[in-house]
Amino acid sequence: MEMLQYALRKLITGIPLILGVTLISFLLMVYFGPDKTYDLIGKNATPEQIAEIRHQLGYDRPFLTRYLEYLKELVTLDFGYSDSTGERVSSILKRTIPISLALVLPGFVLGNLLGIALALAAAWYRGRWLDKLIMGGSVVGMSVSFLIVIIAFQILLSSNYGLGWFPVRGWNVYDFGDYLRYVTVPTLATVFVALGYNTRFYRAVFVEEMGRDHVRTARAFGTPPAELLFKHVLKNALIPIITRIMFSIPFVVISGALLIESYFGIPGVGLVTYDAITTGDQPVLKAVVGLTAALFVLVLILNDILYKVVDPRVSLK
Amino acid sequence: MNRSRERTSLWAKAWYKLRRDRIGMISLGVVLLYFVVALGVWLGLWGQGWSQVEGPMWAPPGPKYWLGTNIIGQDIFERALYSTRTAFDVGLVVAVLSTLLGGLMGGLAGYFSNRWADELILWLMGVLDAIPFYLFVAALAYALQGNPYAMHIAMIATFWTTTARLVRGEVIKLKQFEFVEAARAIGLPRRLILFRHILPNTFHILLVQATIVFVGAIKSEVILSFLGLGVTDGVSWGLMIAESTQEVQAGHFSNFVTASSFLFVLVMAFNLFADALQDALDPRKVSA
Repeated sequence: MEMLQYALRKLITGIPLILGVTLISFLLMVYFGPDKTYDLIGKNATPEQIAEIRHQLGYDRPFLTRYLEYLKELVTLDFGYSDSTGERVSSILKRTIPISLALVLPGFVLGNLLGIALALAAAWYRGRWLDKLIMGGSVVGMSVSFLIVIIAFQILLSSNYGLGWFPVRGWNVYDFGDYLRYVTVPTLATVFVALGYNTRFYRAVFVEEMGRDHVRTARAFGTPPAELLFKHVLKNALIPIITRIMFSIPFVVISGALLIESYFGIPGVGLVTYDAITTGDQPVLKAVVGLTAALFVLVLILNDILYKVVDPRVSLK
Repeated sequence: MNRSRERTSLWAKAWYKLRRDRIGMISLGVVLLYFVVALGVWLGLWGQGWSQVEGPMWAPPGPKYWLGTNIIGQDIFERALYSTRTAFDVGLVVAVLSTLLGGLMGGLAGYFSNRWADELILWLMGVLDAIPFYLFVAALAYALQGNPYAMHIAMIATFWTTTARLVRGEVIKLKQFEFVEAARAIGLPRRLILFRHILPNTFHILLVQATIVFVGAIKSEVILSFLGLGVTDGVSWGLMIAESTQEVQAGHFSNFVTASSFLFVLVMAFNLFADALQDALDPRKVSA
C-alpha cells in the first residue's frame, strides 16, 4: 500500500519530465519540422487546394492545440498512421518491439553479468597482473567504435572472407535454431562494446566497497573469499549496479538497436526509427520519442522501488 | 626551497604526477601528434587532395597512394588525414562549448540548490537525458534546415548534462567552506562569489570532463556520419567507413582498416590521457 502510494506520487512528479520531452520533440520535429504540404499536393495546385491540405495537416491551428493533440495521442496510444507505409503506428510498434527485445536482451544481460564478474575479479586482485590485464582490456574495448566492432565481427564471423558461420544480415526467425543463428553476431558485438564500460564502472564500485570497514572486519574474521565477495561486497554494491542497469534500459531498446538493426537489416523498432528519421515520418517519430520518455519515467519509479527492495534502510517517504 | 613551495599547489602537484605517468605522457604525445596532423590540414600543408578522383579504382598501397585508393579512386591516406581535421573540429567545438555550458549551469544549480533556478536546471537536464540521442540529432537537423552545425549543436545540447551534474555536486560542497562564508561576510555580490571564488575551484572537474566529452564527440560523429546524420561537407572517418561497407563485401579492406585504425589510436590515446589526467588531478580517485 505504501509502495503504491509512493509509485503514484512519483508518477505525478514524472509528469513535468514527460511534458518537457514531448514539448521539445514536438517543437523540433513538428512545429519547426519539415513541411509536409508539398509532398501531398499535385502539380499546379491552386491556393485553395494548398490551404485545404494545410488544414488537413493541422498547420493552420494554434500551437497549443496541436501540442495538446499530440499529448492526447500519447495518452491514448493512438498515433495515427505512418506517413510512408500507411500502416497504423501502434501495429508497427507491436510487430517490431518484440523483435528488438529478442535481439538486444541476450547482449544486454551477458554484457552486464560478464562485466560484474570481470570487475569482481579485477577488484579482488587489485593492483596485480590480472587486474591490469582486465583493465587494460577494458580501455581497449572502450576505444573501439561500436560501428567498427559490428563491421569487423560481420567480416570475421559471417562473410566469406572470414569463417562464414552465420547469416550476413537479415532476420528470418521461425524457430529457436534460426534465432540463435541470427542473434549471435549482433550479441557478440554488443557484449564486446558494453564490456569495457561496464567492467570499469563496476570495478570502481567494488573497489570502493572493499575499502569499507565492514569488509575489513569480515576479512579479519576469516570469511572465505566467495562469501566475502558475494555477501559483503556484491550485495552492498547493488544500488549503483541497479541504477546503471535500469537507466540504460530505455535507450538499449531504441538507440542501442538502431545501429545494429540498420546495419544488419533486422526489422525491429530501431530500423523503423531509422527509416522514419531518413524519410521524416513524423507519426512514427512522435510515438518513439513519447514512449521512450514514458519508459524513462517508469524506470525512474521502478528504480526507487528496487532500492527499497535491496536496502531496507531506504525509506519511500 | 622554491621547488618545494611550487609543489604545494594543486596544479604543480598534478603536473608533477602526470609527468611521471609514462602511459599518460605517451598518450599525450600521440594526441599531440594527431593535433599537429589536424593543424597541418587547417593550414593547408597536407591532406588537401582528399576529394580528387584521379587514381584507378582500388589501387593497392604503393609509393603514389600510400594506403591505396577507394572505390572511386580517391587517395585513402589523404582522406584519412583530412578526416583527422574533421574529428578535431567536432571534438574541440563540442568539448569546449559543452564544458562551458555544463560548468555554468552546474554552478548556477549548485549555488541556488533547492531554489527554483536549481529545479529548472535539473528538470532541463532530466528532459535532455530522456530523449534518445539519435532522434534528437535528427530532429535538430530538421529544425535547423540542414545547417552543417546541427550535429555539433545537438551534441553540445546533450553532453553538458553530465558535467553540470558533477559541477553542481561540487559547488554544493564548496559553498559551505569558510572562504565562501568569508566572501559573503565582506559583502561580495553573488555573481563574484560564484564566478571568482567557487567555479575556479571546479576547474579540475571541467578539464577531465572536457577530455571525456572530446572522445565521446569523436565517437558519436563517426556513428552519426555513418548513419547519414553527421558530417555533410568534407570527409570523416565515419563517412569513410560508410563507403567502405560496399568495398568490404568485394574484399577490399584498406579503406575500412585505415579509417578504423586512425579512429582507434586517437580514441585510445585520449582515453588513456583522460585517465592519467584524472589520476593526477583527483587524489581521491580509486585506481590501481
